[in-house]
Amino acid sequence: MLRIHQVSALLFMAASGYMMWEAWELEYYTPVGPGAGFFPFWLGVILGAMSLIWLVQLSRPAGKPEEGRFLPDFKGRIQIAATIAALVLTALLLDLLGFQLTMFLFLIFMLLFLGKQPIWMSLIISAIGSVGVFYVFGKFLDVRLPLSSLSLLNKLGL
Amino acid sequence: MEAVQNLLMGFSVALTPMNLLMAFVGSILGTLIGVLPGIGPAAGSAMLIPLTFSMDPTGAIIMLTALFYGTQYGGTITSVLLNVPGEAASVVTCLDGYQMAKQGRAGVALSVAAVGSFIGGTFATICLVFAAGPLSRWALEFGPVEFFSLLLLGISLLMGLAGKSMIKALMMGVFGLALAMVGTDPTKGVPRFTFGVMELLDGIGFIPIIMGLFGLAELLENAEKSLAQTVLAKMSSLIPTRQDVRDSAGAIVRGSLIGTALGLIPGITNSASSFLAYIAERKSSKHPERFGTGMIQGVAGPETANNAHANGALIPLFTLGIPASPTIAVIMGAFLMHGLIPGPFLFKEHPALAWGVIASFCIGNVMLLILNLPLIGMWVKVLKIPYGILCAVIMGFLILGSYSVSNSAFDILVMTIFGVIGYLLRKLEFPLAPVVLTLILGPMMERSLKQSLEISQGSFLIFLKSPLAVVFLVLTALVLLLPSLKFFRRSKEAISGEEPV
Repeated sequence: MLRIHQVSALLFMAASGYMMWEAWELEYYTPVGPGAGFFPFWLGVILGAMSLIWLVQLSRPAGKPEEGRFLPDFKGRIQIAATIAALVLTALLLDLLGFQLTMFLFLIFMLLFLGKQPIWMSLIISAIGSVGVFYVFGKFLDVRLPLSSLSLLNKLGL
Repeated sequence: MEAVQNLLMGFSVALTPMNLLMAFVGSILGTLIGVLPGIGPAAGSAMLIPLTFSMDPTGAIIMLTALFYGTQYGGTITSVLLNVPGEAASVVTCLDGYQMAKQGRAGVALSVAAVGSFIGGTFATICLVFAAGPLSRWALEFGPVEFFSLLLLGISLLMGLAGKSMIKALMMGVFGLALAMVGTDPTKGVPRFTFGVMELLDGIGFIPIIMGLFGLAELLENAEKSLAQTVLAKMSSLIPTRQDVRDSAGAIVRGSLIGTALGLIPGITNSASSFLAYIAERKSSKHPERFGTGMIQGVAGPETANNAHANGALIPLFTLGIPASPTIAVIMGAFLMHGLIPGPFLFKEHPALAWGVIASFCIGNVMLLILNLPLIGMWVKVLKIPYGILCAVIMGFLILGSYSVSNSAFDILVMTIFGVIGYLLRKLEFPLAPVVLTLILGPMMERSLKQSLEISQGSFLIFLKSPLAVVFLVLTALVLLLPSLKFFRRSKEAISGEEPV
């Protein structure tokens, strides 16, 4: 646990260094006052200072984090990785397949494979959550959800 | 007299059929979010903002604020019936509420909590009605120097009181400010921290960030736990005895005062209010040893306090434009997305909206009182829905909410990235509330700092020339430096709880 906290403090320090460097590339001060780089530069300085204090705190007995697992067990890791992968795929496929098909596939995956729900239940909820939501949001809430960019699916209203 | 006239004008706005419907929908959705595990009020409100784009701004804000205080009612139900707090503010209610349920008095606990919540919420709203005029007139005199100092004080209070480590809270505050810097610089028009990504030129949307940090991160955290099977306590008669009413009356009065007073201070969470109300009840009781065994005061005091806090916390937003908690920051974001700036100018430029929304708080609290008791059976049924289904449905809403902000799949990726960041930050015990507040307030802070320095031609001494700014800066310094004293650190640990997200 301690090592993970120390690495995190170093990552924050690296981020603060990047902020300062990027801010320095922008205009720091202009004849009429602070430039685009002024505020981010000082934010970088404060973040770096705080990260350093945190790192020092971690080296003292009172500042040590409680021992324990940082990452979950294998099952938990799979569950989390699968959820993130499903979300990323949804973002990538949304414009290609359209909202209805992408959301249907996402919900089926979440309900059937991760949620271990019965197939009939998964199909009903996925249909409502995809096709149903598409029509309700479009008709009543004026929220236009995307149709597929593939002409075949688009012609089918998907 | 002026306040009463304004409130009456507000009622004429809030009582239109559409606005009543909005208050009703917000109250119901708020209770649902409060009942459901895996989603808090901040992510819940953020998910609904895109749905309000086509709505009239008054109706939209009425719905979102009703959702906010509605979650406080919902959290009680799970605390009493399941011994699982739906919201962080209801943690302390479990102590006596669940014991009452085990003794067959769940109905009484829930009805007393609902009445207490109603009284607490209404009391705080009355305070808002009378404070709004004088406070907003005072705030209208602020220039950029005073405004920057006030923002600094508000943010420092939040960081000083959030979580257990001041350093981590400060880091998160700076992280939020850094996120606010992404996009095109407002004065020079040059891109900052965009990494060459076109979609980032307009900045990172705060809705996907909040949904990621508070919604997805919590679902990911739950994914690694095996959630226990829910065992519901049996419901009983909702009608309290005369003794119950006598026992709870004092607790409700004290809870209203504690919750409203603490709600005014940015950074103090409503879980701190309910915790302090519980301590106040123990201290004032002739039998403090009986607390934890099903004392009705242990339910009435904290439940009243957390609702009074929720409504009281809207006072700084409406009068000064400063959000006191992440959920209120989301509501502030909704104001901004509808082209409105919460704060003193709201009363001057949009009096009908400001007073209409305030009047709707009274209506929403009455609705919650009337609706919630008969609907407890329905909420209990909601709790029986398997978590696998709830999780998938919430994820679907997160996708929908992120996408609809700007009709861009890129925002789903942003939400996912911030979900992972939020999950890791929670594991590292970073408080997330400062991120949201500084994310929303960052652009205003930068603008007022730039304006101040432009007026003084670069001299920071301008901040010492305004007496009010000096007061704010001294208070800021005290808030940031006092925790280094051991004595203060101990008392801080007592009042800082998990932030209600």
